[in-house]
Amino acid sequence: MIRFLLKGLIRDRSRSLLPAVVVSIGVMVTVMMYCWIIGSLYEMIDNSARFETGHVKVMTRAYQEVADQIPNDLAILNVTGLRDSLAAVYPDYDWVPRIRFGGLLDIPDENGETRDQGPVIGMAADIITPDSRDRTFLNLAQALVTGDLPQAADELLISAAFAAKLGVGIGDPATLIGSTMHGGMAFYNFKIVGTVEFGILALDRGALIADIRGVQDALDMPDGASELLGLHKSGQYLREEAPLMAAEFNQKKEMEKGEFTPVMLALQDQNNLGVMLNLIDYFAAILVTMFVTVMSIVLWNTGLMGSLRRYGEIGVRLAIGESKGHIYGSLVAESVGIGLAGSILGTAVALFFSALLQQYGFDISGKMQNATVMIPTVIHARITPTAYFIGFFPGLLAVVLGSMIAGLGIFKRSTAELFKELEV
Amino acid sequence: MILRLAFKNTLGAGLRTWLNVIVLSIAYVLIIGMQGLYRGMNDQASQARISQELGGGQYWHPQYDPYDPMTLDEAHGIPPSVLTGLVEAGMATPILCGPAAIFPEGRIRSVLLRGIEPDQQILDLPTAQLHSDHPLPIMLGARMAASVGVQVGDELTVRWRDSNGTFDAADAEVVYIFKSRIPTIDVGQIWLPLQRMQTMLAIPGQATMVVLQREGDPPESTTDWSFRDLDYLLMELKAMVRSKSVGGGIMQGLLLAIALLAIFDSQILSLFRRRREMGTLISLGMTRGNLIGLFTAEGALHGIMAMLLGTLYGLPLLTWLALTGIPLPGYSDDWGFALSDRLFPVYGPLLVLISTLIVFISVTVISYIPVRRIASLDPTEALRGKVS
Amino acid sequence: MKTLLPFIFILGFLPGQDWPTAEQVLAQVDANMVAGNRMTIATMVIHGRRDSRTLQIQSWIQGEDRSFSEYLSPPGERGIKMLKLKDELWTYSPQSDRTIRIAGHMLRQSLNGSDLSYEDMLEDNELLHSYTAVLLDSGRVADRPCWILELTAKRSDVTYHSRRIWVDRERFIALQEERFAKSGKLLKTTRIEEMFFQDERWYPRRITFQDMLKKGGGTELILDSLNFDIVIPDHLFTRAALRQ
Repeated sequence: MIRFLLKGLIRDRSRSLLPAVVVSIGVMVTVMMYCWIIGSLYEMIDNSARFETGHVKVMTRAYQEVADQIPNDLAILNVTGLRDSLAAVYPDYDWVPRIRFGGLLDIPDENGETRDQGPVIGMAADIITPDSRDRTFLNLAQALVTGDLPQAADELLISAAFAAKLGVGIGDPATLIGSTMHGGMAFYNFKIVGTVEFGILALDRGALIADIRGVQDALDMPDGASELLGLHKSGQYLREEAPLMAAEFNQKKEMEKGEFTPVMLALQDQNNLGVMLNLIDYFAAILVTMFVTVMSIVLWNTGLMGSLRRYGEIGVRLAIGESKGHIYGSLVAESVGIGLAGSILGTAVALFFSALLQQYGFDISGKMQNATVMIPTVIHARITPTAYFIGFFPGLLAVVLGSMIAGLGIFKRSTAELFKELEV
Repeated sequence: MILRLAFKNTLGAGLRTWLNVIVLSIAYVLIIGMQGLYRGMNDQASQARISQELGGGQYWHPQYDPYDPMTLDEAHGIPPSVLTGLVEAGMATPILCGPAAIFPEGRIRSVLLRGIEPDQQILDLPTAQLHSDHPLPIMLGARMAASVGVQVGDELTVRWRDSNGTFDAADAEVVYIFKSRIPTIDVGQIWLPLQRMQTMLAIPGQATMVVLQREGDPPESTTDWSFRDLDYLLMELKAMVRSKSVGGGIMQGLLLAIALLAIFDSQILSLFRRRREMGTLISLGMTRGNLIGLFTAEGALHGIMAMLLGTLYGLPLLTWLALTGIPLPGYSDDWGFALSDRLFPVYGPLLVLISTLIVFISVTVISYIPVRRIASLDPTEALRGKVS
Repeated sequence: MKTLLPFIFILGFLPGQDWPTAEQVLAQVDANMVAGNRMTIATMVIHGRRDSRTLQIQSWIQGEDRSFSEYLSPPGERGIKMLKLKDELWTYSPQSDRTIRIAGHMLRQSLNGSDLSYEDMLEDNELLHSYTAVLLDSGRVADRPCWILELTAKRSDVTYHSRRIWVDRERFIALQEERFAKSGKLLKTTRIEEMFFQDERWYPRRITFQDMLKKGGGTELILDSLNFDIVIPDHLFTRAALRQ
């Protein structure tokens, strides 16, 4: 009997292949949609992490109190040692030092005197080491408008609009005038090697990115950094782990009472991002529920129709003596099989593509003017543990439910009526 | 005749039809809902800035550049007479900006002073709180107050230079701390009465900008004070919402695709089930083209019925949402736009029309695609129930 | 007679009797402080939040309007030069080989993180030019008898609207100074901790500057050496000299 059923199943594409394909597609869309929704909602968090907050951030206690003033006199010293010790204790994180600073960018004429000058906001990161993670984090290659990325400590990138305003081009010299860590006047010559689009008006008006070594020289901050960002190697913010990590670090440092003792903050404890994360979860839940509901109805429909169209066959089986209960059971068993097969296949394919999307992202730059440092146009999916089973709600439960409801018709109609629907 | 037949067949299919229609209607309502959400988000954030910061547009002093603090010392003057006329008529309000320093706990901190008329009605700011007997009453946003560590009643030493460069300093009293959704009027800013600030800086009657009321058009006369309209002032916000809505558009597209999957599946099923019917109709003289049209019309009718059903429950639901808003957990002002604790979707007729057209066209196309194979149907094979 | 002596003594010190006018005192102070050509080597100690920094600066000063300074130490600052020509200030950095004019806002920046600004360096040292004075009282600073003068700005563009100075009655050097905002709020203080006598004038050896609104250890300026009436070549007060 089972072989008969299986043969019938496999030979009749409309009973097996079509529903299984429909279920697979439906599950695949559901799972990919879920990963996409989570990924795109977390995009803002990811941007903040890469550019400003890290998944965790280390600063001196004194710096943290007035961080919005960028007080480099209160910066971390011996940042290499700190970074190495953090990397040893927390090897799952990339640790990237950053310096934030302000000043004037002075453009010399042929006599070395000021031709033009403008206020500038600066950020320094490790952008010349070939395998530096900051080159990726800051999205520099994609945001480059003209020129190249810096290859030396005295090369910098400025915003394209700022370059236009100052009338400078690639290869032109520019002197940074600012304050050293000790309050002295800093003058440092850079070469402009490229222009970028930041995506935020305030930065596009006057901002620059330079290598951290050059800026450490410029601001007399040997082995210093304003902050040390920790970013998990998976690229994902681990919401439970990060605060624990920060608490553990801070507890170890609690005995050191000095105002220059480093403190660690998790992303959700900075810039009200904890609230943002709650908001994301809220929207994600709403969106995912919507999609899963719609997909469930679609696949329930599939299961329902798949059974409805088999009334003719069922009539024959009843006529040859199979019991209604047995037929019903076999219908449900078939739908379980199809649902499982479709769900497993759909989930597997979805996770494969989602993994690719998580790694490489989806470029929406066609819809946007251009890529920027702050707002990358590549949106990444995000696979979470939920992605492994969320497809089974529509793929298995809905399909089986549809079949179970349709199968009830067996008990309502007479054999003759079912037979009539055989249409042979 | 085709349409009547299609209508009869569609309704005659009973549950199958209604299932598809329900799914499609949900997708339809959700698409409109999501579009409304993005538009509401944009509008709300824009409205917040318009009501509390931008008014109906601003006239700026020629030297004023909000992104260059170096210009502030020079960026003030007597507004042109056409603008002072507006101010006197209550249709605009002047604001004076200037750099200063405060010394919370003995540490110097740069701030921006903003002088505003306490009685102004142009911006939704609690400026009336600046009426005080204290010689230097100031108002801070909640973020600024938290950052500086002050509360109402606390005194804060403020140091500034007047227009001649002479130092002055005084102990200001925080008379009010306001909550705002907009960081740009809060972080790093201190609000005080305009005339007081003009006296402090020794620049009587001068301002940095004049903010117009929201209603009405700006005056046409040209002055060297440049007019910044709302499109200019909200440029960055619009760009940010656009970037968000691209992701949203992708989600809506996929949502529609899921619903169309049901239609597609249903059409495929029809092809299998109704072979004999198709053969009969062709034998009775119906052209293949008409037959394709019939099946396509049946599919498209799902779309029409879905839109009607969607309107039936979607209209009251979306209207209710637009009126009551969607609660947002917690304070979301650091998201980059200014939203309140409720998000109010905004729907426009164009939005609904475009969404309707998209759904209808998509359904029709998806209905057509699988039934094209009818063109190669052999009627005799079909009459015998076989697929050719 | 004996019984009259205390009265005579007291009478001699009654206000308005043998007291000079405020202008006379101020003129003496200006005459003491403002010399012709001089060369100084000074050490500036800046007490920051993190640590204290020590800079050594050599300066050639001609009257009120011209000065040329060069940083001698620490190594990171060595070779930085500054040229003051009336109200213009230029600086040269050997590291960048750039000559930059410090103007506008930059003048208000703190000099090397100290409690002095570049603007303070440019200010007119002759107090009589900028202030009217009132002799308030007499007092003592570090056991030295002083005249207490209240100075009020003559013009609206003077950086500090009013000052109070304690002038050594014998040496005519301002041992202590308080600088006030227009509102009367105390902004900065200077205090001469040590002085020395050279070429018939008393000069401060060690001065402490303190910004009264900020917390901090203040800034000390220590005059290591001073030479009056030296010959300073004119070419030193040119921008070209900055690069030499």
